[in-house]
Amino acid sequence: MDEMTLLENLRSEVPPPESADLRRVEERLTAAITGSAAAERPRRRSSVPFRRPVVPLAAAGTALVLLGGALAVRGEEPGPKGHVVHVMPNRSVEVLDRAAEGVWRQRELRPAPGQYLVFETESMASAEGAVGEDGAYGRYLHRGRRKVWMPVQGRSLDAVVVDTVLPARRFPGYPLPATAPRTTRTGRPERLVDFDQRPEHLRTDYAYLSRLPTDPQGMYRHLYTGLGEGEEAHRQAWSRVCDLLCQAYMPAAQRAALFRAAGAIPGVTVVRNAEDGIGRKGVAAARVDRLTGERREYVFDPETYDFLGERSVVVDAAAAGAPVGTVVSYSVVLKADVSDSAPTPRPRS
Amino acid sequence: MTETSRTSEEADADLIARSRREPEAFAELFRRHAPDITRYVTRRLGADAAEDVVAETFLTAFRQRARYDVARPDARPWLYGIATNLIGRHVRTEVRRLRALERTGVDPVTAPFTERSDERVSAAAVRRALAAALAALPAGHRDALLLVAWGGLSYEETAQALGVRIGTVRSRISRARSRMRRELGGADPTSLRPTVNEEPIGG
Repeated sequence: MDEMTLLENLRSEVPPPESADLRRVEERLTAAITGSAAAERPRRRSSVPFRRPVVPLAAAGTALVLLGGALAVRGEEPGPKGHVVHVMPNRSVEVLDRAAEGVWRQRELRPAPGQYLVFETESMASAEGAVGEDGAYGRYLHRGRRKVWMPVQGRSLDAVVVDTVLPARRFPGYPLPATAPRTTRTGRPERLVDFDQRPEHLRTDYAYLSRLPTDPQGMYRHLYTGLGEGEEAHRQAWSRVCDLLCQAYMPAAQRAALFRAAGAIPGVTVVRNAEDGIGRKGVAAARVDRLTGERREYVFDPETYDFLGERSVVVDAAAAGAPVGTVVSYSVVLKADVSDSAPTPRPRS
Repeated sequence: MTETSRTSEEADADLIARSRREPEAFAELFRRHAPDITRYVTRRLGADAAEDVVAETFLTAFRQRARYDVARPDARPWLYGIATNLIGRHVRTEVRRLRALERTGVDPVTAPFTERSDERVSAAAVRRALAAALAALPAGHRDALLLVAWGGLSYEETAQALGVRIGTVRSRISRARSRMRRELGGADPTSLRPTVNEEPIGG
């Protein structure tokens, strides 16, 4: 061995840095970057208040309850209450760390005010209720594709959707009801929602998401806004991660912060051999919802760590009322892009 | 998102150019290079001092990004050069730790990672001899030598990093190698074979 080789070996046992150590350093840099970004690009404030009086229209077909559907409207979330401050615990999940790193290698969409973010998704959700011919109780798995135009700036009320119904699937243990769709049928452009009573902190439009914190701690606090303590808070926080990923798009800095923050939610684990709803292999970060007996997985491409979609799999047959391993819902992102215009929605009758 | 394409091929220079309009793009430069630079600085100064040096390296780079010559696609020479300047502020720490290794055979820099220490890679006598040589070198020589040996930079890149001509790098490394050979002459001879063929030093 010559002296250069000996020197190369000297202190070679010093390992590559731990990701937690790197993250601490990166946060110092991010703070400087964010400060600079704020100085160079003054924040725009939306002049239109988001919350406004709404007139809920009756949902069509009240007998049919679509669970886990992608409707943007959700009234069940309680508003901010109390002063529970959630401090991000020092934990992380490898898949989500990788996803946070992957963000910077992915093509970044840069929608401008006046444009639309266009999402093409395929989803499956459990439908149950009086779905039999004679109004008998039944269950099946409703599937559909949708293309949504989300205004970059503004309200989800201006969003337009074209839905395609796909042939339904049987829910294990139940016959496919006669009323379940058996053919593919594409609808006309419609308004996505008729009302939106989400509180401010649950907004998912790009203009709002662009103003969210870019540091993991800040994003963690955002995920827990208005939530109490314990399992229910963690369950909802995990669910909110999906709200920000599926059918929404945030800038890279926020997306990276979101993945880091999501990795700190208690109970999140890694699923190595995951698969998304349309059979693409991936790795997933997942959290078991004990209430429903399902494991909610967020699946990423194993190479690029692009977000592929979410999926819920039964892990507790008794709680879920379905055999272990049943996929009860999924939503995959087929495409996300930017468009200057959206189709004109069909007027409501 | 399925249709997003990777931009990992985007050169450092493009990232830096982009970061002038979109400062957040700079974070990608950190992700690319911080692991290697952290390890490099840790090997020179120890983990305790490394964190601040690495943070300051990237903050300095970020502040100076307008002055980066985007004709150079690879930012490593630039970043290692900034890191080297900052390491220079800790030269007494660096030398003190090398002297401690030379004296005691125990390396304060690698001690925190003892569970990973690998006795095979360098016998104690060799480590002590190398530490003696490194501690005795002028700082500029040590910088050049370690940018090549630990930083993995070429001579050309080392010259860029240090802002000196490549001939200077060659002569510094040549002298540093002689010094090491001299120190190693007193170390366990079985770990050393005489270097008959001195490679021609080139960039």
